[in-house]
Amino acid sequence: MARLTLDNVTKRFDDGDDEIVAVDEVSVDIDDGEFLVLVGPSGCGKSTTLRMIAGLETVSDGDIAIGDDVINDVPVQRRDIAMVFQNYALYPHMTVRENMRFGLEESTDLSADAMNEYVDDTATLLEIDELLDRKPSELSGGQQQRVALGRAIVRDPAVFLMDEPLSNLDAKLRAGMRMELQRLQDELGVTTVYVTHDQTEAMTMGDRIAILNDGILQQVATPLECYHRPKNLFVAGFIGEPSMNFFDVTREDDRLLLDGTGLEYPISASIREDLDDVTDLVLGIRPEDVEIVEGGGGEHDFPIQVDVVEPMGNENNLLATFEASDRTINAIVGGMRHVRSGEQYTARLPESAVHLFDRKSGRALHNRQIDEEEKLLEPHI
Amino acid sequence: MTAAESAETTSREQETSALKGFDTQRAALYTVLLGLIAFYLSPLWGGLTTAFKTDTGFLQTTPLIPPTPEWFTLEPWELALATMQGGLVNSMLFVVPATILSATLGSLAAYGLTKLSWRGQVGILVIFLAGVFLPYQSVLVPLRQFWSAVDLAGLLAFAPFLANRADLIELTITHTAYGIPICTILFRSYYKTMDDEMIEAAKIDGASAFGIYKRIVLPLSMPMFAVTLIYQFTQVWNDLLFALVLVTARSNYVVTQSLNELQGSMAQQYNIQMAGAFIAALPTIIIYIVFGRQFAQGISGAS
Repeated sequence: MARLTLDNVTKRFDDGDDEIVAVDEVSVDIDDGEFLVLVGPSGCGKSTTLRMIAGLETVSDGDIAIGDDVINDVPVQRRDIAMVFQNYALYPHMTVRENMRFGLEESTDLSADAMNEYVDDTATLLEIDELLDRKPSELSGGQQQRVALGRAIVRDPAVFLMDEPLSNLDAKLRAGMRMELQRLQDELGVTTVYVTHDQTEAMTMGDRIAILNDGILQQVATPLECYHRPKNLFVAGFIGEPSMNFFDVTREDDRLLLDGTGLEYPISASIREDLDDVTDLVLGIRPEDVEIVEGGGGEHDFPIQVDVVEPMGNENNLLATFEASDRTINAIVGGMRHVRSGEQYTARLPESAVHLFDRKSGRALHNRQIDEEEKLLEPHI
Repeated sequence: MTAAESAETTSREQETSALKGFDTQRAALYTVLLGLIAFYLSPLWGGLTTAFKTDTGFLQTTPLIPPTPEWFTLEPWELALATMQGGLVNSMLFVVPATILSATLGSLAAYGLTKLSWRGQVGILVIFLAGVFLPYQSVLVPLRQFWSAVDLAGLLAFAPFLANRADLIELTITHTAYGIPICTILFRSYYKTMDDEMIEAAKIDGASAFGIYKRIVLPLSMPMFAVTLIYQFTQVWNDLLFALVLVTARSNYVVTQSLNELQGSMAQQYNIQMAGAFIAALPTIIIYIVFGRQFAQGISGAS
């Protein structure tokens, strides 16, 4: 168990004459026992970062350290890490027991009895003790997943690396495994780096999440901080499902003009302070913060027509169009609320829930108001 | 007639017509297959009947007619076996090690060329590839010169048993060297489909490059070993050219050479030659039967 430090880690690939920067000066400190989720769209460099930590890729620049030891030049075999792969990568010709023992046999001098004891204990922990004599081909996907996990846990490494380990499971199983992985990680207290493209996994599992795009680290923070206080447009759009609504707006003194609609959105003095002198802005608001009201007439109310209603049971996802334009907006209302498609409503965009971004740089200038901010955003490590 | 009834009738009609079409198709398929079987098996059948006939029997009947009791004899087999006994033993002595060596070395080389990363791989691979396309005939003279220069018999003089068999050892080494390229290419295509993440998992588990080969790659290579063993065994067993150039002592004659000896200089005794051909082919047939299942697995790429 140890702290894992990434200091300006960079990875460049040669592509003929061109050089592709897959990971660009990423720096993160991962505390002992912390669960860090590395998330981003495909091709953002998250897997490359993980593979550099594992030693499967060389580091072009910067340092990776476990504890105080820089491990850039330590071969894979001696890094004291364990990794769970997306397709599990079990050894097909070995039984579950042999799969789990393999790492112990190759990296320790334990006696056969001691190894078997470790394997048995881990198998019991993961509830796969009944499967120890089976071959991987005789197991279901969920069981193979557990064996892959067991193979990593049994070695008691300093760091766990997980590369989209749940993406091959069906949705139900995935939700269950998400909880279980968190429980296990809590119990074992091993520093963990978890790579995923699924923002739900990132939100629910991580102590902190690190969001990558185009090889550049966008934000490292607790899930709720990323959700409520995104540092830029990319984070705001990536975290949250369905994603945040964005509208290009132009500031005119105390009003925002919604481009292409002729609609106006008045802003109060406290928001104006945050905006400096930037006039080209993007207004963001999360679908669940959009209120659908009847009548209306307030200064932040806009007439809309509901086009699509997706009933989810607990809530309804709406897609609506602003009247007199083709701008659409997503909104979420309660499941008991009766909303019909094709009808006129009023959408209220409360000023307290609005985010504003610099359109050119994407930087967040103003984030939404949060009551009891400290309570909500403090880390729960 | 109600709608449901009429629907039922049409579906039944469709069924019968489908069955009819199926039958004619089947019949055509079997006719073609039987024709092909007859085409491929008739030479073998002719050889087999000839090997059981006396000389007169062979001359007075067409080859495809089975031997009648009047002309039935086992003598050709006995005569052929007597002449070829030494050759069979000698062939076994060098074919088995040459086959195993070239398959093993080819597998190791392919592992190095696919699952390990190092500079200059492509260059080495090109050399291996070139080795596959080198015709036997083009190396005969340099090969003879090489083994004359090395004088293996002299080098092995301390062990008379080995020195007497120097020709066979030369053949073993030559065939191993000549077999490595094709074995490497075969194993390479197999290893390229092998899951890279599994190799990486083994690395992370602490296994060394050779440890991964021994414990992961080698056990998973068995189907491809069956393919290369069958291929190499057949190739080396049936070779006459290298043997003619390298084997000088009559006591070291290999099976193809002894088969060649059955050909009389004056009279052609076809029945003995046919019996000899079958005796010479027997070991390769046995190898096919023994490794057949893995061979099929290896060809289809299932692991």
